[in-house]
Amino acid sequence: MAKDLILATTRSIAKETGARKRTGLFGIGLRNTFPLFPLLIFLSIFFLWPIGAVFVNAFKNNDGSFTWANYQLLFQAPYNRAFYNSIRLGFISALVGAIPGALIAIAIQQRGSVRLKKLIASISGVLANTGGVPLAFMFLAAFGPEGLATLTLKAIGLDLYGHGFTLFSFWGLVIIYSYFQIPIMVIVFTPALDSLRREWRDAAHNLGASNTQFWLRVGIPLLTPSFLASFLLLFASGFSAFATARAMTVGNIALVPLIIGTLLDGNVTVNQFNLGYALAMGMIIVALLAMIPYLVIQARTSKWQR
Amino acid sequence: MAALKKRSFSQSLSIILLILIGILIALPLIGATEFSLRDGGRAKHNFHSYTWIFKQEDFFINATTTFEIALVALLVTFILMVPTVAWLHIYGKKYIRFVEIITVLPLIIPVVALATGAQLALPGWLQSTKYVLSMMYVVLAMPFTFRALDIGMRGVQLEVLVAAGRNLGASWRAVILKVITPVILPSIFAALFLTVALSLGEFTLAQLLHWNTFPTWVAVAAQGNILGATALSVGSLLAAWLLLFSFTFFDRKKTNHQEAA
Repeated sequence: MAKDLILATTRSIAKETGARKRTGLFGIGLRNTFPLFPLLIFLSIFFLWPIGAVFVNAFKNNDGSFTWANYQLLFQAPYNRAFYNSIRLGFISALVGAIPGALIAIAIQQRGSVRLKKLIASISGVLANTGGVPLAFMFLAAFGPEGLATLTLKAIGLDLYGHGFTLFSFWGLVIIYSYFQIPIMVIVFTPALDSLRREWRDAAHNLGASNTQFWLRVGIPLLTPSFLASFLLLFASGFSAFATARAMTVGNIALVPLIIGTLLDGNVTVNQFNLGYALAMGMIIVALLAMIPYLVIQARTSKWQR
Repeated sequence: MAALKKRSFSQSLSIILLILIGILIALPLIGATEFSLRDGGRAKHNFHSYTWIFKQEDFFINATTTFEIALVALLVTFILMVPTVAWLHIYGKKYIRFVEIITVLPLIIPVVALATGAQLALPGWLQSTKYVLSMMYVVLAMPFTFRALDIGMRGVQLEVLVAAGRNLGASWRAVILKVITPVILPSIFAALFLTVALSLGEFTLAQLLHWNTFPTWVAVAAQGNILGATALSVGSLLAAWLLLFSFTFFDRKKTNHQEAA
């Protein structure tokens, strides 16, 4: 009862400050928000303006007048195929990253010492940023036909290349992407685990719940939103990764970022520039569709995670 | 007793899992290292590919370029982000949510799309300097730098410390130098480190805006010498690890200090 009262009071206070906020940002209190201007101006120049320009130019034809034609091309071959490939790559690499990543995060959070936690956090931090060209070359060297990893696996009876495996393929990319997807999952999922309070587990156990019951009834339901949010983040990172894919595909897999890269390199007609902008907008739209639920989930879970 | 048994069971499960991860992480790295030490065949190993790196003039040129870009990105992040987030925590708490949302946007928009827009929209004089990359890297790192600073300042309850300092008669100068700076130093350091790490390895924007940086050079070098490119990749990965571990060490010292204080 008392708790309800406190909640109601905080809510009404929040409402009041919320009302004041509106006049603060755009109304009379412009002076009060002045310290935010440098950041806002910086983001406007180097972020909003470029994105806005892509948005506007995707609707232009060669003469600069309005057209839907660039967007219509996105639904035709080969661009529809490229979108399908990119979305599939994002989805599968997110799945391959999210499940082991979550298990690792849980294992470490449950049993790990402070030192181990810090070590894993550091390693994840490095690996998550290990995208790009070096990662591709590392895998090429280790898992190439003559690589040590291939030979080791062959020695224990797993002949990769005997089964028609190649790194220069969709599944090759998935394997390489997992090298940064799993660590990203560990990084973004661990805070959610940390906020699963010790007291809740103790409370469940005191009320007679077994470990399995705790996870089924409390742990998993509480963590599902965070897991989904993390999954969406991984999807976005796999969907839009460029450097590794560029180093690894020899034009055999059509991916949207790679096509945009080729169009931007300049060996194309003006008409195709506008197509590039439409492709970029297509990527933004897909990413937004994935990330808006992410932001909503984050906002909801952050209420109890703080 | 049963609980004890269960605990040791899941503990050993965790250990097995961690060993498995260790192997999965190490396998490509060890494989690549071994490959980069080869000379001609599988049998002969030496450091030829590594000495090759230092014989390349382009290595020094591009490494210098990348360091310069990273340094500017670091400075801009420091000047732009630290005062803004500090102000948010002391005076502008109600705007934190708003800034949180706008700073997470660069994470959502694919870098390829941002590069497309930058090439299209930014004026020529800006695009003709390599420091345009620094600015873009500040934007790309912002979701991480903002979070690092936000979490750091939330943890120490900056506004309480400032209020306490001012109430006890400290000047603003003293508050900034003796109260704010020491407590938020680890988070500043984390934010700057993230910016530098991103700047050193970024490929997409550099490639699409047609700049030669260290990562784009690695890709070019591979076309001539795959062993050398592997050596470069292994070398830059190990350098990144070293950098990060030295950072973790620094960070740990700071946190211990804080806990003791």
